[in-house]
Amino acid sequence: MIKRGHIISIIAVLVFLGVGATWVISKATQSVKVLPGVIKQVPSFDMTSHNGEPFNRDSLLNKISVLDFIFTSCPGPCPIMSNNMKTLYKQYKLHPDLQFISITVDPEHDSLDILNLYADANGVNDNRWKFLRSEMRKVKKLSTNGFLFMSDNLPAGHSVKFVLIDENANIRQYYNGTDEASISILRNHINLFLERLRNSV
Amino acid sequence: MKKYFRFSVLSIVFTYLLIFIGGLVRVAGAGMGCPDWPKCFDRWIPPTSITQLPDHIDPEKFNLVLAWVEYLNRLSGAFVGFIILVSCVYAILHFKNNKRVVFSISSALFFTLVEGWLGSKLVDTVLDPVTITLHLLLALIIIGLIIYSSIQAYYDIKGNFEKDSFYPYHIKYIILGIFACIVIEIIVGTEIRGGLDISRKDNPLIDGVILLKMLGPFKYIHTILGVALLGLVLYLRKLIYDNNYNSSEYMIYAVNSMLILIGAQIVLGETLVFFDVKPIVQLFHMWFSSLLLGLSIAQYTLWEISNRK
Repeated sequence: MIKRGHIISIIAVLVFLGVGATWVISKATQSVKVLPGVIKQVPSFDMTSHNGEPFNRDSLLNKISVLDFIFTSCPGPCPIMSNNMKTLYKQYKLHPDLQFISITVDPEHDSLDILNLYADANGVNDNRWKFLRSEMRKVKKLSTNGFLFMSDNLPAGHSVKFVLIDENANIRQYYNGTDEASISILRNHINLFLERLRNSV
Repeated sequence: MKKYFRFSVLSIVFTYLLIFIGGLVRVAGAGMGCPDWPKCFDRWIPPTSITQLPDHIDPEKFNLVLAWVEYLNRLSGAFVGFIILVSCVYAILHFKNNKRVVFSISSALFFTLVEGWLGSKLVDTVLDPVTITLHLLLALIIIGLIIYSSIQAYYDIKGNFEKDSFYPYHIKYIILGIFACIVIEIIVGTEIRGGLDISRKDNPLIDGVILLKMLGPFKYIHTILGVALLGLVLYLRKLIYDNNYNSSEYMIYAVNSMLILIGAQIVLGETLVFFDVKPIVQLFHMWFSSLLLGLSIAQYTLWEISNRK
């Protein structure tokens, strides 16, 4: 009842689909394994983290960092950004070589005590997420010259971007910290950099 | 009338191809390849280089391969929609008296539009897991309706090709049981697939096989139900091969194809569990399940026709 020709053509179709799909999948897999290039170096800076420890450019070395600028009394995008950061912070709980850094753009109001409360409110219970504070002048300088953000109208006019920084304190890529699609690309890049860091040790 | 039949068969072939491409988008991780809908980076022809991106879309979202894979799915979707539309027109012109044909192909056309809309929602919700599953289930409803319509049209063209067969009444329940098993298997399968995705996000950089082991009881239900399905199909085959019932060659063809597919599904499924969660294996595992569902609907239609004497 079943002709031999039928079987051969069914097998041919399956092989064709299989080979085609394998090709597409391998292309797609390769395409997401490309590390974003170096944009620029993070300049030296000097800040204090919410637990009172000093935090400077060297603290970025040998770790992958995700950094953003926020202020605790911000009504608009910051809660969304911090919430997304919190999700990442939880998801990467087993990866101490990934750190999260939030720099306040409103140091007048955001004292270390307030930053501590903010950290607690975001479920921070270890060293992987730090909230940094410095003088307004220095923050503005770091934001503008260090990270190439528009910083004329701080605190309200701070950027909503997340910055990915590699283990040599190079800025690698910017992501929209309020956009889920952007964050999933960030997640992929974090994985690539962590894998590379792990293999290089 | 023959024209309708030809177009409906074409619709079946292309819809299956489309389900395959849809699965390819999923396993290639290309679902967000175009961040907007229906256009891709605000263009009808997706960008071929990053310089073509419009200003208002973040360039970090652009990945040439993923954009074109996703767009291939949308273009094929539009093409299939067109073929189904043509089928629908022929059905209305030539099968005025056969409500079964007209109603099922028109519903298929309607659901194809809903499917497109659901595709846009997938982009809006950044691939919400429930919406992904609905997107697949709707595709299966569409293919089921076209298969039903096509076989019913064949009946009108050819006369009753099931007139000599006398299936026992309870074969209906066996066929429906198989159908139910396949549907549940597909839903549980998508749950496993989705669970794996969530688990991968929550446990980055951990091997897929280990993540699969961490998943809940769904995976056992999937296996147990698979065995039950195999048993039911073997029983159905025994009935169909019983000389007393004088089964049609179509029925025999369908049940044997089903058996081969289930065999292949077991091999593919075990490969995923024991070796590696390979995207290409996931893709064929999903696609074969859609073929199984189609065969099951074909069997039901044949049984229905065998009762129309």
